[in-house]
Amino acid sequence: MPVASTSYRFIGKRTPRKDAEAKVTGTLKYTNDLEVPGMLVGKIVRSPYAFADIRRIDVSEAVKMGAIVITPDDVPQRPFNPRLVSIEEVTYKDTYVLTYKPRYLGEPIAAVAAPSEELAQRAAEAIRVEFEKVHEPILDPLEAMKPGAPKIHEKIMKGGKWIDVENNIAARLDYEEGDVERGFAEADLLLERAFKTGKRYHMQLEPKAVLCVPEPGGKLTIYTTTQTIHNTRILVSQLFDIPASRINVVKVPIGGSFGSSIQTNYLVPIAVALCLKARKPIKIAYTREEDMLDHSNFVFHFKIKIGTKNDGTFTGAEFVNVLDVGAHQVQPYPLLGTSLGWFVSMYKWKNIRYRGIAVYTNKVPGCALRGYGAPEVQWAVETMVDEIAEKLGLDPIDIRLKNYVGRGDIFWGQGPTVRSVIKSDGVPELLLRGKELIGWNKRVHPDEKKGRFRRGIGVARGFHTSSAGGPISGEVIDYTGCILKLNEDGTLDYITALQDHGGGTLDAHVKIIAEELGVPPDLINLATATTENTLYDVCTHASRGTYAGGECARRAAQILKQKIFEVAVRILERVVNPDALKIRYDDELREAVVYVEGTNIKIPLREVAKTAWQRNWGTLVAAVTYRATSAPPSFTVYFVEVEVDTWTGKVRPIKVVAGADVGTPINPDMVEGQLHGGFAMAWGMAFSENTQYDPVTGEIMGRMLITDYKIPTAGDVVSPEDFIVLLASTYEPAGPFGAKGLGEAAMNPAVGAILNAVYNAIGIRFYELPVTPDKVIAALREKGGLEW
Amino acid sequence: MIVKFKLDGKLVQVDVDPREVLLNTLRLKLRVKSVKRGCERGECGSCTVLVNGNPVLSCMVLTVQADGKEVITVEGLQGDSLFKTLVKNFAESGAVQCGFCTPGILLTAWAGIVQGRIKDVEDVKEQVANLCRCTGYVKIVEAVRKTLLEVNAGGQY
Repeated sequence: MPVASTSYRFIGKRTPRKDAEAKVTGTLKYTNDLEVPGMLVGKIVRSPYAFADIRRIDVSEAVKMGAIVITPDDVPQRPFNPRLVSIEEVTYKDTYVLTYKPRYLGEPIAAVAAPSEELAQRAAEAIRVEFEKVHEPILDPLEAMKPGAPKIHEKIMKGGKWIDVENNIAARLDYEEGDVERGFAEADLLLERAFKTGKRYHMQLEPKAVLCVPEPGGKLTIYTTTQTIHNTRILVSQLFDIPASRINVVKVPIGGSFGSSIQTNYLVPIAVALCLKARKPIKIAYTREEDMLDHSNFVFHFKIKIGTKNDGTFTGAEFVNVLDVGAHQVQPYPLLGTSLGWFVSMYKWKNIRYRGIAVYTNKVPGCALRGYGAPEVQWAVETMVDEIAEKLGLDPIDIRLKNYVGRGDIFWGQGPTVRSVIKSDGVPELLLRGKELIGWNKRVHPDEKKGRFRRGIGVARGFHTSSAGGPISGEVIDYTGCILKLNEDGTLDYITALQDHGGGTLDAHVKIIAEELGVPPDLINLATATTENTLYDVCTHASRGTYAGGECARRAAQILKQKIFEVAVRILERVVNPDALKIRYDDELREAVVYVEGTNIKIPLREVAKTAWQRNWGTLVAAVTYRATSAPPSFTVYFVEVEVDTWTGKVRPIKVVAGADVGTPINPDMVEGQLHGGFAMAWGMAFSENTQYDPVTGEIMGRMLITDYKIPTAGDVVSPEDFIVLLASTYEPAGPFGAKGLGEAAMNPAVGAILNAVYNAIGIRFYELPVTPDKVIAALREKGGLEW
Repeated sequence: MIVKFKLDGKLVQVDVDPREVLLNTLRLKLRVKSVKRGCERGECGSCTVLVNGNPVLSCMVLTVQADGKEVITVEGLQGDSLFKTLVKNFAESGAVQCGFCTPGILLTAWAGIVQGRIKDVEDVKEQVANLCRCTGYVKIVEAVRKTLLEVNAGGQY
């Protein structure tokens, strides 16, 4: 089955991506770079309170200024969920386009549009909002779920029916397999720990934007920052009762996303409402502060208990997951499922019990952020596994190899209803080779370290799913589609709705098509894509772009190839039938040729295409809709060396070994890029990133400035020679040319490795993120025994 | 009020509000869209341009301050040989992902090399302080280092 990458013409080669030139020269247009004649600029009026009831909204001054104004009275009075990935029965809806009852500070209550940003801002400021009552915000989910706590929501919709919200619980998921109590009784060691994460903000460089243009015949064209043009169209269609065929959402390059546009961002329906009222094009572009009020991650509160035998065999695990979802649901229900999925797919616990509770608070609604719970779960699990190994005197690598879920085991790709059998597994290779590369054997116990600067080495392993595919249709929608056509000169147009967040997903598709057909990648056009000229694709999420989208592209190329052969036999008259033909890139001719093996019969694809055109044989085209029937895990292993400054509490990375099992790497440059970026994001998650809320006002402290939301800079990361990328030599049978996903796996276990390294440096474990310097100093003081 | 400056080699004249920042003049009035609006608070570096050769955050500079000066964006450096080398290395090293921060980073790095401030990897890490969320900076540092090696070999700067 495995095919050596050296036999490929394009796959596995380092090639500059197709869109690099447009990006480095600044000619690529992002949403906020677009302008149309007669365009108005929209501004959103936001709640200054975290939890309040509005008596009335006075728009008279703004209207006098000539602005187009909308209030909750002008928008559909039906709740929606901005993310569509679950089937309708388990989709919870509690959000309104504009509201008289803001539930977080910054929630949209009205909007205006005017010819310039300044006029729009003036009009927005002229709107007077009179509040009936301002409530004390509820910011702690553990308080919010206590009986008698004030209700953030009374009624929400689930599967099209109204349901009552009890104790601010947005959604629940409980699960049990085996007998946990018996498992715990059999254990020699029981370890129980509680963990809490920060509320991270995506900090994608491009703030969200939208341009909504009215077209003749009541049609709307929408350009926006989105990971899914089709779900954006469906949402707008459902919300405003406009047939899908009258909405066209255009795929626009996006300046990073990391999950922040997995949902339709709140400015889209607002722009649509303004556009419907003004009958003019409307553009809204968030400021950075508004962007931070639009989306951030969930806060995870875990309680985990693990039973282990003295030989390191796990006997049972209990996992309590309290999710702080913020003020509205951006599908936390599937996150309750994936959190469990990541947990059970880490190790063979044998017996498990899970309680997942998603709780409302008066914070910015939480949405997916790279890993969808996996970085959090894998940090917690890998911290505990490290601790268990130490308590039992076992090697941290041995205990992982002994218990991990690998080849032949069942993997939960996206929660309990998305399961498939693991076929490719590079974990042993990554752990054992990584161990050598980091210098594991020089690692000594923290007690043996002295001085101001102390170094430590840590390891953690994990994975992410590649897509949410599977053999059974569960609660999650996951399929894609593409069109591939041969042009009259032998070049190709590739048309897909699948979005490239910047990682080079579509470049991978192009190489996959190039490999299948022997056509040089620069002859394959990544066509402009809209909802009206593409097949449905659920979303670029779940690290599915290369795996599911790439396989769809490969299948389209395979079908097209067959059609090319059928046409070619009409030209090559002596060839008995299409099965006798093959296609490859010809090094001499520098183009794709159709040929018969073992003969000198060959014809350039260019000529086949031209002949088909000239003789009226029709367009050669393939349209494929594809659902992956498995969701293979991409395993990753991080070995990290850090240095802790015991005077300042600052930690710096010394060396990183990032091991990844991505199956066949389509472009090693981009694989490395994901690992570099994933590690940097993990570094921020570990040490600095958190949107802190003022306990009294419920406002994000630091007034949403990114100066107070520190993401790593170039000065915080290791030099290129100290970042070693290690790729496993695996082949995934379900993936295109053996490939799997990476975007999320690249980050997931890194926080665990970083903090295990911190432990190895100073002998202190941290259970609450981010581990800011003050926490490090406080913990060092508490521990005592510092010799400087 | 009327402000005149040289933009990417051409003299431009533009009527601006005295409170207007250069970022908005460039993007909205002169339609230079390669200058990105990332935060408008002088924090992210996406709006970097060169004013008289120095990298500045155009969201933090009033347009009137550019009066009589020379403003350069990536569009104005397309013919420059060092810039071409830098661009080639960014593309070949995989230093470009979403691309939103890229023009600002290229200008910061280009000016640093030209002015002799960026000589090695440590200089890059310290001086290219623009934020990037995709790459983890490793390949950006690598691309600038490769450029330094190439220009040093050519004795260019």
